[in-house]
Order: sequence, then C-alpha cells, then structure tokens
Amino acid sequence: MSMKGLAGKRVVITGGASGIGAATVARFLEEKARVAVIDLDEAGGRALGEKHPDLAGVVRADVADPDAVDRAFRELDGLLGGVDVAINNAGISIRHDFMSITPAEWRKVMGVDLDGVFYVAQQAARRMLAGSGGVIINMGSTSGMNGYPMYADYDAAKAGVIELTRTMALELAPKIRVIAVCPGYVWTSMQEAEYTPEMKAAVDAKIPLRRHATTGEIAALFAFLASEEAPYITGHPVIIDGGEIAGGLASR
Amino acid sequence: MKLKDRVAIVTGATSGLGEAAARLFAEEGAKVTVTGRDEARGRRVVDAIAAGGGTATFVRADVRIAADCERVVAETLRAFGGRIDVLFNNAGVFHPHNAVDCTEEEWDATIDSSLKGAWLMSKYALPTMIAQGRGVIIHQSSGWGIQGGDDAVAYCAAKGGLIVMAKAMAIDHGKHGIRVNCLCPGDVDTPMLAEDAKARRLSYADYMKGASNRPLGRVGTPEELARAALFLASDDSSFMTGAALVVDGGGIAG
Repeated sequence: MSMKGLAGKRVVITGGASGIGAATVARFLEEKARVAVIDLDEAGGRALGEKHPDLAGVVRADVADPDAVDRAFRELDGLLGGVDVAINNAGISIRHDFMSITPAEWRKVMGVDLDGVFYVAQQAARRMLAGSGGVIINMGSTSGMNGYPMYADYDAAKAGVIELTRTMALELAPKIRVIAVCPGYVWTSMQEAEYTPEMKAAVDAKIPLRRHATTGEIAALFAFLASEEAPYITGHPVIIDGGEIAGGLASR
Repeated sequence: MKLKDRVAIVTGATSGLGEAAARLFAEEGAKVTVTGRDEARGRRVVDAIAAGGGTATFVRADVRIAADCERVVAETLRAFGGRIDVLFNNAGVFHPHNAVDCTEEEWDATIDSSLKGAWLMSKYALPTMIAQGRGVIIHQSSGWGIQGGDDAVAYCAAKGGLIVMAKAMAIDHGKHGIRVNCLCPGDVDTPMLAEDAKARRLSYADYMKGASNRPLGRVGTPEELARAALFLASDDSSFMTGAALVVDGGGIAG
C-alpha cells in the first residue's frame, strides 16, 4: 500500500539488478518515484532496464571502488539532478569458516558490505546536504546483531554498518535521516539456487513466523522508512526477521 | 485504506498518542475500540471519529484490572462482528522518581498500567487472534525501555519489560500468524509531557528545550507516532515480529 510523499522523489538503489534490490526498484517505481540503480552486473542491469522502461537509468559500478562510485554519482547527477533517497542495498557474502578466511576474501566482503556503504553514503549525503536533505537507508542484517557460524566477515561488516548508521544519523541530522534495515532470512533467487526443500523447511521451522521474508516485504520497509510516514525515525536499526532473533539458539 | 474492515483495540486512547492512533486507525478503515479511565474524554474521541465518518466505540476500563480487560475484549467482539485484528497496548502512566523516592503505590501503578495491562489485554485478545490465525499486537514501549533515563526507575523497568515480553510473545505466537512488536517513542508532545514538566518543577519551555536535545532537534508529534503504529498494525510490516521500532528523532542513537 502506498506511502506518503514518495512520488517524484529521486531514489538511488545499489545492487538493484536482482533480489531485494530489484524488488525495491519495483516498489519505488510503483510509488511513482524516479529511480536509478547502481550495479556491477551489466547483464542484470540491462534486463532490469528492459523490465522497467520507467527506470531513470542503470549505472555500472563496483561500490567497493571509491573512484567508480564517484564517477557513478556524477553520471547520476545527469540522470536525476540530485538524490533524495539513497538505499545502500548492494552486498555479498561468502560461506566459509573463520579459520579458512583468506585476507583477500575478508577484504572482498568488507569492500562491498562496509566500504561500499560508506562511499555511496558520503556521495549521496554530499548532494543531500547541498540540496533539501534526504534519507539514507543502509542494509544491515540480523547478522550484524547475532553471531552466525561460517559468516564471520559478513557479520562483522554488518555490525559495522549498524554503528556507521548511528553516527551518520547524529552528524547529518536534521537534514538527513539515516536508518539501517536488518533483515533475517529472505527468499531470493540466490537462496532458491542453493537450498534443497529440506534445508528450507529446517530454516523455516526455526523462525517464529515459520517462513522466509519475501523480497517485497523488505522493499515495503524501505518505502515506509524513506517516506513521510516516518519523519521522526533516524539513527536506529530496524529488524525485519519474522522473530528469528527475538530468541537465541537456546530458545529454538 | 491500510486497515479496511479490521477491528482494533487501542488502550489509553482518551488522549495523546493513543487518541491519535485510534483516529488514524479509524481513518484507515478500522473499527476501533477506544478504552481508558476517563469516560468524558473517551466519548469525545469516539464522537470525533464518528464525525469523520469512522466507526468506534468506547469501553471504560482500567487495564490494571483483569475483569476490565476481559470486558474490553468481550465488548469489542460483540460490537464488531467477533474479530480482533489489532491490539495496541498504549496505556501507561509516568511518575518521575529514583529508586529511593519511588513509593510502592507509584511503582505498582507504573508497572501495572504498562506491563501487567499489556499482558492482561494480550491474554484475553489472543484466543480470538489464534482462532483467526492472524493478528497484530503492539506494545507501547519507549526509548527508555532500551536505555536508562533519569528519575524514571519504574517507568524504565516497565518499558524494558515490554520489549522482552514482545519477543517472548513473538516466539510463542508466530506459528499462529500473530505478530508482536514494540513501538519505542522518545518525547512526544502529549499531555504526559506537560504533567512530567510540572512534576519535575520545570517550566514547560525549559522542559521542551531539554526534550528537544536530540539529532532532529524537536520532540515528536502524536501523529508521527500514530503513523509508525499504523505501519506495525498494517500488512506493510507483515514480516516484522519481536522487533522494537524506535521513533525518537535519533534520541538514543548517541
């Protein structure tokens, strides 16, 4: 259902070519916002543009590369003429145990999941401060709040995103609101490719709502937080996990 | 409309944030039971909703009393076709005191209206929600349910208790399709603030200056909090349960 004040807003979504990002693109277009995407996946970006002719543009860039992010935002200036909402959605994870993480893998995860959030947020905030303000939403995760074996680097990056969000909110207020969204298990094509039906059932059984989130449910939270329905929300992580971390391992 | 044909109960809805939520829920299509201890004010809220084309009924109740909570649920079921979709446990009182100064009466009034009242209302509303296979419960917690506040020892205990109670209820009733979340406001421009200023012997202007000392530089409005409650009450938040939504202008971010 539609959210107040999103029509006409200039929205930049990183990692918008697939998964939660693509659902978020669709949601903000439904809200009549002007949406542009930054994504590394050239073919995915092209397909997204074909699916949504009303998309303002897709810019190819690796968010882990500060020069590429700088170039992308200069291109976005031409496409949108400013930014009102930035959604730092791009992210990667590698399943590996702590003892086997290589420095290169660690750097790769930090580069996209934490450095990338910083580069994009700073570029967006620069434009919002020069304009009439805005909203920055960073993708956290329940992984930034609880431990998850096999994802030590990802967990650390997401915890970093949550604290980055708090401090950005303190410094950038009142012109810019900054919020972290912390999903738990979300059903995307990536999960669909990796899970057997038995694996999915086992995960679902541990979640109080007994299911994964849809990508659209995460997109709805982004839309709410970016809109005039939430003008007093800033500086906090918002958990959307079907109750997963309401209890720890011991309560499952 | 985000709550079309839903049935909602809002406790402590005769003024302030509860009143704003009751009005907004009705505007969004819900049939609303307004509860509170002050009958005259409650009737005024119900009349205002009716004047705006909405549907509401008032049930006089003190949420500290089990029989009152049971009656609120029974009268809601009778008035609105046997359903309860949303329960907003908003009722609460505030007495500014540290652990030494707090009297037993104040402690009990604070804990019983916020924490016990939320449990009692949930206890009586849940069987209907379980039978429906769906429902939403929202507890009115506070930023001071997450961080400590000055001269608010019973209030912080009650509000902190609500956050963990919501998590426990989320775990128990997720399988029934029931979501349980907390709303955590900072200072909101309601009669509770004026009363607190008086109790702390501060001029309202000085009090508001202190309350505005937060990143967004102002206190919240009841409507802003009502919008957040609406989000939690509606299908827009269909995967959120066991969460605490902080709506405080960044007050506890630093």
